[in-house]
Amino acid sequence: MHFRQIFRLIGILNFFLGLSMAAPLCVSLIYSDGSFAPFLYSILITSGSGLIAFLLTKTSDSSSLSQRESMAVVTFGWVSAGFFGALPFLFSGSIGSITNAYFESISGFTTTGATILSDIEALPEGLLFWRSLTQWMGGMGIIVLSIAILPFLGVGGMQLYKAEIPSPVVDKLQPRISETAKTLWKVYLLITLLEIGLLYVGGMSLFDSMCHAFCTMPTGGFSTQNGSIAQFNSAYFEGVITLFMILAGINFSLHFKFLKGDFRVFGRDPECRVFLLILAILILLVTSNTYVTVYSSVIEAFRYAAFQVSSIITTTGFVTANYEQWPAFSQIVLLLCMFLGAMAGSTGGAIKTVRIVLLVKHGYREIFTLIHPHAVRSIKLGKKPVPPDVLNSIWGFFILYVGLFIVAVICMSALGLDTLTSFSSVAATIGNVGPGFGLVGPINNYLSIPDVGKWVLMFCMILGRLEIYTVIILLVPAYWRK
Amino acid sequence: MKIIIIGAGDVGFNIAQRLSEENHDVVVIEKDPVKIRSIQNALDVQALEGSGTNPSMLLEAGIKESDIIVAATDNDEANLIVCFYAQYLTDFITKIARVKNPDYMKHTEIFKQDFLNIDLIINSQSEMVASMLKLTEVPIASEVIDFVDGRVKLIGITIKEDSPLVGRRLSSFHEYEQSILVGIIIRGEKVVVPKGEDVIQANDLVYMVTRREDIQNIYQIMQIRREGLSRVMIVGGGETGLALAESLDTTTINTKIIELDGQRCLELSEKLEKVVVLNGDGTDRDFLIEENVDEVDIMMVLTGDEENNVLISLLGKALGAKKTVTKIAKLSYIPLVFTIGIDTVVSPRLSAIRAILQYIRKGKVVCVAPLKAEAVEAIEFEALETSDVVNTPLSKVKFPKGAIVGAIVRGEEIIIPRGQNMIKPHDHLIIFALKDTIPKLEKIFTVKLEYF
Repeated sequence: MHFRQIFRLIGILNFFLGLSMAAPLCVSLIYSDGSFAPFLYSILITSGSGLIAFLLTKTSDSSSLSQRESMAVVTFGWVSAGFFGALPFLFSGSIGSITNAYFESISGFTTTGATILSDIEALPEGLLFWRSLTQWMGGMGIIVLSIAILPFLGVGGMQLYKAEIPSPVVDKLQPRISETAKTLWKVYLLITLLEIGLLYVGGMSLFDSMCHAFCTMPTGGFSTQNGSIAQFNSAYFEGVITLFMILAGINFSLHFKFLKGDFRVFGRDPECRVFLLILAILILLVTSNTYVTVYSSVIEAFRYAAFQVSSIITTTGFVTANYEQWPAFSQIVLLLCMFLGAMAGSTGGAIKTVRIVLLVKHGYREIFTLIHPHAVRSIKLGKKPVPPDVLNSIWGFFILYVGLFIVAVICMSALGLDTLTSFSSVAATIGNVGPGFGLVGPINNYLSIPDVGKWVLMFCMILGRLEIYTVIILLVPAYWRK
Repeated sequence: MKIIIIGAGDVGFNIAQRLSEENHDVVVIEKDPVKIRSIQNALDVQALEGSGTNPSMLLEAGIKESDIIVAATDNDEANLIVCFYAQYLTDFITKIARVKNPDYMKHTEIFKQDFLNIDLIINSQSEMVASMLKLTEVPIASEVIDFVDGRVKLIGITIKEDSPLVGRRLSSFHEYEQSILVGIIIRGEKVVVPKGEDVIQANDLVYMVTRREDIQNIYQIMQIRREGLSRVMIVGGGETGLALAESLDTTTINTKIIELDGQRCLELSEKLEKVVVLNGDGTDRDFLIEENVDEVDIMMVLTGDEENNVLISLLGKALGAKKTVTKIAKLSYIPLVFTIGIDTVVSPRLSAIRAILQYIRKGKVVCVAPLKAEAVEAIEFEALETSDVVNTPLSKVKFPKGAIVGAIVRGEEIIIPRGQNMIKPHDHLIIFALKDTIPKLEKIFTVKLEYF
């Protein structure tokens, strides 16, 4: 293990993370909300410590990272980003306890969107902006961002990229990994700007438009309002945000191809077709279920169902309706959505459509071989055959996801939480969704969870964001053996 | 016409035979002295021993005075090289090359452009697949031949002993006049150009002409309900098997493909979507039963081993497959296997021969299809204004004995003719003719003038 190298890279990461706090610093200056000093200190500490780490580990050893090491860089990079990202909350005094501040920060970076704040609107604008910015940076990946802007990472970049975006289908858009990362960030930025524009045109303040766009595109779910999107009570905003949540749930390489002029790419991509089909069916089911039982008109039922299903399945976590008052069927659908997730290569979390599709196909193949014992059948995604090692890794992912979910649920219930809360809080954090049911429902927050429980959930968030393997491998003793 | 043929294998030999019988000057170039001797003994052609890829050999064969060169060896690259030399040595020669490799077939435009300028590329595999696909359209037929882009179909049906047609006079079909015409009956080794009083017998192979939209009339005559083809089993996942499976993959037909080699099965399964790929031995009786061979409508046996193909087809028939199509490359086997109960044979070489002959005889002969036993052909002629036959009722035209008009195509209209129908200038006629009547027909239609 090249510990120096790992330390050095995390140092670089922190240095730039500190620089990114300049944005909320400016916001606090504009609004003179009193959070200028906390941000200044945070910048100095974050960038300073990063710089020191960088200088101390000056090494002649320029060998590139192995896959093992890049997993350590990514995991510890995220843990440290969460730590330094919590500093502004602590320094400003908005959040008192270290646990809560860290929870808010990790929830931001992992684009979970679970909050411990009861009165969000009381926060200074600078901090509100910082919350949104952590989500926006975390959505496309802080490591991918560094790869994009730091060309000297070189070959190791590919390893880091794979460790942070471990999609089962690798789509290298450009010959060089740093170009691929840059391309993805450009697409991401473009769509975000488009959403800011559309929200602003609809009458949202520029500040709110930016904050919400920054939280939609990474499928984050932080809002500047106590009542989330419901507070605006505007069908236009809900429509725009629903649209962009769905866009954020689609593989960004498809957006790239679309922008390059291949307009039928969404219909052609097999995963995208399934994702949109599932989305449409679930919206339809929830609409028909909530019509009459909750809402008096179909249009109203559709409006809330479409928003809420899109929000949960893309793992965004914005709220326009208190879905805990919906019939049990709709609640079960939403709970299911927490596990389904959006497309691979999107900013969404959870298991993801491509894995579900391949798991179902694999299952069908087993049944098929019982009928035709001599049959040879390839599992294909569209027209491309999927190699067996990818399938094995997907099965492994699924088993680990469910296994770790169960372990975490047991931990939560051991802390004295009720069944629904234990179950949904873990589902909502490991899937990077945000709001769950019960104590952590759409109108409540995570403040009431015991501190130990919060740490468990934070672990779940990082697990979910880095798609299990990258994190869990560090806990295996064999990893550390020479 | 002077024609040079490179390679005296099955394909080269047969083309040489047919063309020399039609009074063309044929030169055959072949490496193998044994084949040279046998061709010299059997045919009235000039046989030169040597390699076709040797330019001086081509000059010796008189390439500069020749009209057509046919590169018909089993080696694709050699065939292409021959055409390359031909292009270099002379400007006006028509070049025909046999190409088997499917990769080459994907980019035929490269070979057809100025560099090689090949006039016709024959790929027997794609011709074979096309003819098998036509069989799936009319499952009761043992042969289906298309004319006029498929608007007229010539359908060959073997009459089973329990068929309602056995013992019926042809004149009793008058209700189907204008829609179906029985063109040729093949009875054992004999070819019958039928008249009204002829009677259909069991085991006859009856060729009927009909319009595409009138096919259901044939089902009516046969008194069987039209059942769409629903199950096909392909044995042998080689290139031909895969090409056929890929074509069937896009249809609603349930298709299974059986391949012995496990690795090849994986490749097949990656290329096929709905087709069920089975890893097993086509000669394994229990395996075939397990995969419900008894419910199969057509079993296509396409492995590389032709003796095995015959046996697998017989096994399949014994186990209940409704019909079998057997791939046989060796032409000498073909007349033999019908007598032991094989329904339909596809042959890459036969396909190549047909395609090459069709092309060589072009001019005003639009389409030629040698039928089973090769003694009879279905020919598409265009009636020229200068011809004696135009504007005369058919019954008054002095056709040679052994020729019959199967259909008249007049623009969009397709006429299944009777005695009083008239031929008009520029009509296309589909005529069945015994081989020896062809020169007479050519005279009547003054086609020969158009040859050069």
